[in-house]
Amino acid sequence: MQKSWRDSALLAYALAILAFLYLPLLILALYSFNDSRINAVWSGFTFRWYASLLNNQRVIEALTNSLIIATISTLVTTTLGTMAALALNRYKYKFKGVINGLLYLPILIPEIVMGLSLLVLFSQTGIALGKGTLVVAHITFCISFVIITVGARLEGMRKDLEQAASDLYATPWQTFRYITFPLALPGIIAGALMSFTLSIDDFIISFFVAGPNSTTLPLYIYAMVKRGISPEINALSTCMMCATISLIVISQLLQPQHKSAKK
Amino acid sequence: MKKTSYVVVTLLACLVLLITGCGNSGSKSADKATQNGKEKQVLNLFSWADNFSPEVLAAFEKKYNCKINYDVFANNEELLAKIQAGGAQYDVIQPSDYMISTMTKLNLLEKLDKSKLPNTANIVKSLQTPAFDPKGEYSVVYTWGMTGIVYNTKYVKQAPTSWQDLWNSDYKGRVILLNDSREVFGMGLKKHGYSNNSTNKAELDEAYADLKALAPSVLAYDTDTIKQKFIAEEAWIGMMWSGDAYFTQKDNPNIAFVIPKEGTVIWADTFAIPKGAKHKELAEKFINFMYDPKISAQNYEYIGYNDPNEKAREFHAKEFLDNKILKLAVDKVAQGEWLKDIGEAITQYDKYWTELKTIK
Repeated sequence: MQKSWRDSALLAYALAILAFLYLPLLILALYSFNDSRINAVWSGFTFRWYASLLNNQRVIEALTNSLIIATISTLVTTTLGTMAALALNRYKYKFKGVINGLLYLPILIPEIVMGLSLLVLFSQTGIALGKGTLVVAHITFCISFVIITVGARLEGMRKDLEQAASDLYATPWQTFRYITFPLALPGIIAGALMSFTLSIDDFIISFFVAGPNSTTLPLYIYAMVKRGISPEINALSTCMMCATISLIVISQLLQPQHKSAKK
Repeated sequence: MKKTSYVVVTLLACLVLLITGCGNSGSKSADKATQNGKEKQVLNLFSWADNFSPEVLAAFEKKYNCKINYDVFANNEELLAKIQAGGAQYDVIQPSDYMISTMTKLNLLEKLDKSKLPNTANIVKSLQTPAFDPKGEYSVVYTWGMTGIVYNTKYVKQAPTSWQDLWNSDYKGRVILLNDSREVFGMGLKKHGYSNNSTNKAELDEAYADLKALAPSVLAYDTDTIKQKFIAEEAWIGMMWSGDAYFTQKDNPNIAFVIPKEGTVIWADTFAIPKGAKHKELAEKFINFMYDPKISAQNYEYIGYNDPNEKAREFHAKEFLDNKILKLAVDKVAQGEWLKDIGEAITQYDKYWTELKTIK
């Protein structure tokens, strides 16, 4: 009797936590279909905010900027991150622990510190702020995530397949191309999706290093809020949320699943 | 082993090329625009979101065969940081009144050559040489407005005339003050007939004592979502900028707006050109273009702020000219006092502000 009481209490608690996390997002999404210009009153269902978003040239520009920056930084991050993860996984060298630690550090450093330090770096070296600096900044903070995801995948991989390949006279390149790379691919894709998501969503670091013609979607949303929250912002946020959630789900599905593998 | 390292090295080299390539192409394309007359010129505009009619911007792009890069900031401090960092190359910026004096002091603005901006002579006299730029050398007023009392006629039966009316106990829990220390203390000071730039401790104490008494009636200190609160009738009476009041009234016809008799804050967003702007000539053309009477009529009707352009009157719709709220701001412009940099005294304001906001 007591146990079942405890169970239901636990369930209620879990549901409350989930509600706390997701209700605000749901309400935000709900009001993007509200027919009134203000968030306060519900006055009917409409798609018109989504339509007006598509006609808003500034939004389209911001979206294009975000996509360009995210695509370039994802490509670069994934390549560099995969190479780093391979090196860290395969070779033994001095100060390995320190180097590992340094690679994970960008995840722990507060974003605001990183943004500021990058801004100082760019302005000290006289590099003009713009899309270029945004790409560099995004690569900097995304790369650790790729290293971790790819690293986890490599960690879980069995070594005997590679050894078998070498036994069969495969060159190191062939081993990499036909054995290591396909095995690591889910991890690589997961890392790529992760860094794409992070880049699309990033606000704080972008806030510091953005320059002319490089307003990204989150920066634009922030500036729009200052003008009063219109359902257009809700619509835009809902779109971003959907895109982010689907990317995260895909990357989760591709993550190495240790438990099921061991079973 | 050797082969792998070879592959890695080539990959790395490619990447380095790619990254540096990206970095260069950005700055190159910007330069190309200035060097080559056939290429489209670029105007880097740094402003508040949604601050122009898109059609007006498109018309400028067409007329001068150029491309406007419209980037946005959310507050003056953000703008200042970007300009101070120096890395950003904007051609036209839109600081608010007090930020103009700060930026002038820091020597961040180009002196405007008024001979290149003949249309700015159309601006009403009272806004030509505002207190924050006494000679009108560094800025021209773009949007402006005044802080007044906004109220809902359904709940507030007798039209307020004085800031004192916010203290009416009938409105307990329904009062909204702006989330801005200078505005709120400025109001408290004005109520007693003092300057809203007062640095006199005794005067400020008086204002603070009053505001402390008002604090329990305050629903919120809010600037960003204040319009919603009035439209939804959560709030009945409070401080609001004239431009916001105009918007609020569109969505809730019960909303009315007055400028209290004691006077109030007047504010403006301006056009300025930052030091070292790369496309200064185009920037001047842009500013001049925005004060073309026909263009400005179109522009201000879109953004819903008072048009400072005297010559534009004939092009405005009757509705816009007759709007009570917008008209009120024009009529009472003499009662407005600009907020100035008050130097060290700001620490006292901040201290009281923090204390005020903890009272509930």
